[in-house]
Amino acid sequence: MIKEQKPTVFVVDDDAAVRDSLRLLLKSVGLPVEVFESGQDFLDADRDDRPGCLVLDIRMPGMSGLELQVKLNERHSILPIIFITGHGDVPMAVEAMQAGAVDFIQKPFRDQDLLDRINQALDKDAGSRRMLAERNMIRKRLESLTPREREVLDLVVAGKANKVIAGDLNLSQRTVEIHRARVMEKMEAHSLAHLVRMVLEVERPEA
Amino acid sequence: MSSKHRSAVRGAAARHPGPQKGLEYRAILEAAVDAIIVIDHQGTIEDFSLKAQQLFGYVPEEVIGRNVSMLMPEPHRGAHDGYLRRHMQTGERRVIGRGREVMALRKDGSEFPCDLSVGQVEGVDPPRFVGFLHDITARKKAEEQLQRSEAELRLAQELANLGNYVMHAGGGGHDYYSPQLHRILGVEPGSPSIAREDYLERWVHPADRKRVAEAFARMDTGNSPLDIEYQVVLRDGTVRHLHHLAQAVLDADRRVVKYIGTIHDITDRRRAEDDARVLQERLTHFSRLSTMGEMAAGLAHEINQPLSAIATYARACQRIMIQPDADTDDVIAALEQINAQALRAGEVIRRLRNFVKNREVKREPVDCARLLEDLSTLAETDARLHNIRLRLDCEEPLPTVYADPIQLQQVVLNLVRNAIDAMSEAPEERREVVLSTRMDADGEVEVTVADRGTGLAPEATEHLFNPFFTTKASGTGLGLAISRSIVRAHGGRLWHTPNDDCGVRFHFTLPVAPAVTTGD
Repeated sequence: MIKEQKPTVFVVDDDAAVRDSLRLLLKSVGLPVEVFESGQDFLDADRDDRPGCLVLDIRMPGMSGLELQVKLNERHSILPIIFITGHGDVPMAVEAMQAGAVDFIQKPFRDQDLLDRINQALDKDAGSRRMLAERNMIRKRLESLTPREREVLDLVVAGKANKVIAGDLNLSQRTVEIHRARVMEKMEAHSLAHLVRMVLEVERPEA
Repeated sequence: MSSKHRSAVRGAAARHPGPQKGLEYRAILEAAVDAIIVIDHQGTIEDFSLKAQQLFGYVPEEVIGRNVSMLMPEPHRGAHDGYLRRHMQTGERRVIGRGREVMALRKDGSEFPCDLSVGQVEGVDPPRFVGFLHDITARKKAEEQLQRSEAELRLAQELANLGNYVMHAGGGGHDYYSPQLHRILGVEPGSPSIAREDYLERWVHPADRKRVAEAFARMDTGNSPLDIEYQVVLRDGTVRHLHHLAQAVLDADRRVVKYIGTIHDITDRRRAEDDARVLQERLTHFSRLSTMGEMAAGLAHEINQPLSAIATYARACQRIMIQPDADTDDVIAALEQINAQALRAGEVIRRLRNFVKNREVKREPVDCARLLEDLSTLAETDARLHNIRLRLDCEEPLPTVYADPIQLQQVVLNLVRNAIDAMSEAPEERREVVLSTRMDADGEVEVTVADRGTGLAPEATEHLFNPFFTTKASGTGLGLAISRSIVRAHGGRLWHTPNDDCGVRFHFTLPVAPAVTTGD
């Protein structure tokens, strides 16, 4: 959650040569990279909440790539996963995509194809993290409101006019106007539309 | 037959019928070994000796005065009077003084063969004739027996394609070749004896000549009977496989007197054996191919790994080299890896090619531990694909076995693949195949493949080694049948036992190679 942590590409592959070649490729394009021999090693290293993306071999002895994906989902990790598959692994790849993988690439692959996918994944990760950060910020602002201010906010978002709100809450229209100005200030909203968008952002049924 | 009898009787009859001479004549008649019958010129029986009475079963009263034709079966019976008449008219002798084999008729109606000689009593009128009959039933029987057993022997030799011979050294004595031997060697019956040199030059296949000549020479010492298989080329170009057994017979000075031997034409048997072997080899090869077919996905993966590493390393190197401050250490390390990975991919392909190549079966000294390590590359691809660990547990050092390495790998691979299939549903902690080797109590090398899978259903155990029996959707059902025949051909055994807690162990043994092996 700390801003400005550099995104890292995590590679999990049991094949030493494949792992090492990926490490070198990513290093050559200036991407920070960390490699792991098994899914368990990666879980043990607790990297799943770090910014970046995961390049994961789908077929490994012990914990397979799919099993690691399940474990990461259980940990609510948002790390985007790019699966590396062999040919004939299409059914597994489909399963991986259904479980939320961003992409898969078949071995042997063109380096640029992989790098493109990695960049897309990193963008996606950055976007998700930005969105998460924004939501957290909005939530914090919402928490700073008094109960009365929160009531006024909810009615404003529901599209009611000040006069109606004053009637509903048994307040004078002036008092409503003061609360409303406080809300706008605390929420750092530029406009009514902005305020509504922020509230919907955090209070959608699904986060 | 007896000129003695004839002259004796002739003499006696000549002096007939003085009373003294009559007694002598009677004594001779009674004492003669042959049956004696005297008839007159019309065929009427005048005398019938004791022996004749025994032979024909008549008492004299029953025959004296009757026609002699009663003692003959047809056709002579009806013709005898005619013979006599012709003789009386022409004096031509057909039987008299010559003797012949005829059939005679007993009182009880049975017939028997006898030698008949007839003499004419001279100086009497009308002329009389004396017949001497000798029962030859026993001799005839023996002759027939001999003919029959000769015919049977000939037939037996023909059926068995077996010929025998007796050959004398240095041309002394009468050589014998059975008719079948002539046929086997493609020569006319009654051809002259074949000298050894001639035989080696003109019959024995050039490739076998030296070996056969040496075996012949060893036989001449009298200590070592000949027992050898070789090929001959007949004059028409036909090639035959012979099994030749012979023994030299030596004299007191240990010189070879003669050779007694049999030659067995085993061409058909060899051909059938060859056909069976070729078929077995083809089937074995087919099974290897289909195994590889089933393993294609795993193998593709195994080759893809180094290829994808190579591609990635190469591009990484390019990207590094275009940078102004390129890190050459990284590039050098990557280039080394590229080389190693290319070799790794090549090695997989080499093993694969070796494994599926259609090739001559070749036995050679094999180090089991090395062989299994070699094999594990192929086997592991399959194991990885099914998320199963393959553990190698080789007792070392192990004695060398004498085997065909590829066929041996085929057996192990079959067993490992079966083990992997048996564990497709097994939980993670059990997913391990253990491949072990050790020396057993009999000093043989024992290879064991153990799984912890579902085990064998009782009905499967029964048919396990039957060709085309399979419990798998895509199996050929040949794996175990072929594995067992390979192991057997190597002089070993293949069997299975339940594994300790669950699953099955397949074991096979291989006899250890003799300490010194000289190739042949």
